[in-house]
Amino acid sequence: MIEEQRVIDFHGHTGRLDSYNGVDDPALILRAMDRVGIDVSCVFNIFHPDGTTGNDITAQFVAKHPDRFVGFAYVSPMMPEGMVAELTRAIDELGLVAIKLYPPYTQWDLNEPIWHPIYEFANARGLAIIFHTGTDPHSHPGLLADCAARFPNANFVSGHAGNVAEPRAAAIKAAQDYPNIFLETCSTFRTPGVIEQLVNEAGADRVLFGSDIALMDSRPQLGKIITADISDEAKRLVCGGNAARLLGI
Amino acid sequence: MSIQFTFQPRVPVFDANVRVGDLHYQPSPCRSRDQLLSEMDRHGVEKALIYHAQTEEVSPFDGNGFLEAWLDDSRLFPQWSIMPTPDSLAQVQALHEQGRVHSVRLHNARSVGLPFRPWSCGAMLTWLSDNRIPLWIPLPDADADELAMTLSAFPELVTVLVGAHYSHALWVRPLMTTLPNSYLELSRIEPLGEVEALCGEYGAERFVYGSWYDRLAMGTMLYYLHHTDISESELELICAGNLLRILQGEGRHD
Repeated sequence: MIEEQRVIDFHGHTGRLDSYNGVDDPALILRAMDRVGIDVSCVFNIFHPDGTTGNDITAQFVAKHPDRFVGFAYVSPMMPEGMVAELTRAIDELGLVAIKLYPPYTQWDLNEPIWHPIYEFANARGLAIIFHTGTDPHSHPGLLADCAARFPNANFVSGHAGNVAEPRAAAIKAAQDYPNIFLETCSTFRTPGVIEQLVNEAGADRVLFGSDIALMDSRPQLGKIITADISDEAKRLVCGGNAARLLGI
Repeated sequence: MSIQFTFQPRVPVFDANVRVGDLHYQPSPCRSRDQLLSEMDRHGVEKALIYHAQTEEVSPFDGNGFLEAWLDDSRLFPQWSIMPTPDSLAQVQALHEQGRVHSVRLHNARSVGLPFRPWSCGAMLTWLSDNRIPLWIPLPDADADELAMTLSAFPELVTVLVGAHYSHALWVRPLMTTLPNSYLELSRIEPLGEVEALCGEYGAERFVYGSWYDRLAMGTMLYYLHHTDISESELELICAGNLLRILQGEGRHD
């Protein structure tokens, strides 16, 4: 909690990335969360195209600290025949609450039809989907506008808010045009003024704090929200108010 | 300690890594010395070591000239850039004769094929070492093997390794072990729990705080450092104490 505001980290990973010293040690993650008042972190595993393997890892990770972590389901159109069945299992049986997608691993732009069964699933259930978005053409956040228009009951989250200037501008434009598009903040770039830009141009009610644990420590990523030149009310929404509303938690 | 939506540092802060001025391809969000001082005030930063953006990819020689307009005797201190060419070395040596050189920053010549090796940089490194001038080395432009092999030949030279990112995660420990007179600047140290882990392994005496503003937002890492398990005395060393010692020519650990 920060000043009675529950803090929710919308972007985290299970699994190790040893080349980057990314270790999903729950004790280390919780220590970082506790030092800055993060109550809940959302986690997913994007390393297995079948979805099942990674979703089981995520569910097991969450089960050890169910009050501190919530899990998102991952599937990939590289194995399209099982996507909807795995989403159904992950949400209904494992208790995962939203969806993570990673277009750079695939050969398809995020608005191509092969992804649509996932969006139809989310649309039917009113779920949030967080995408990696950035300069990669498959994950350009401008493409989210097409998805948001076709599937208005699903919520589309631009992970990293596009990461750098041009895709970030496209992400903001998409959020301005569609009420079911949100912008998530984690990024190793940490460019000055970005948090202010997202809040001022897309609206504080459309921005979600994320950290990219365990690739990155959650403390500096929260720090860029706390030290941004925005109002305390905006910080409350970004740090947790919006995520709680979006996830229904 | 209560956690709040506002943040100010608890200890004096001397930022070891601030860039000023425009890049040739990107105007700076900070347009003047007053604007920089205002941003420092907003984040509770007392002093900063500054270098000019033009030194990164255009000209360390001209960039050092542009830096003069940003200096401030009480809060903004110069870090001159250097490369292993006669003009650059002569410029910095002239500044040194005026008593104005307390640190230098390596300009990336690897981008044009000149490696960081004793045969290419030896004269420059010998002069720096002989005059106890510490050298800042940006890791994004560096090669780990060149750093380890070349700097091992200049064991008395104090270096500050700047901007280690998670993509350098496997470099950091071997370099710090191989180079006992090196420091690590922390502007981009983001692997999980890394600040506590590194301080535990090497001691807080080996680290300096830098924001790398205006490449990065100014307050982020300062906030992080104030929310770790390191002690207040360690925090003081990292946020200012170690840098002051380095700039006074007292940075050697061996």
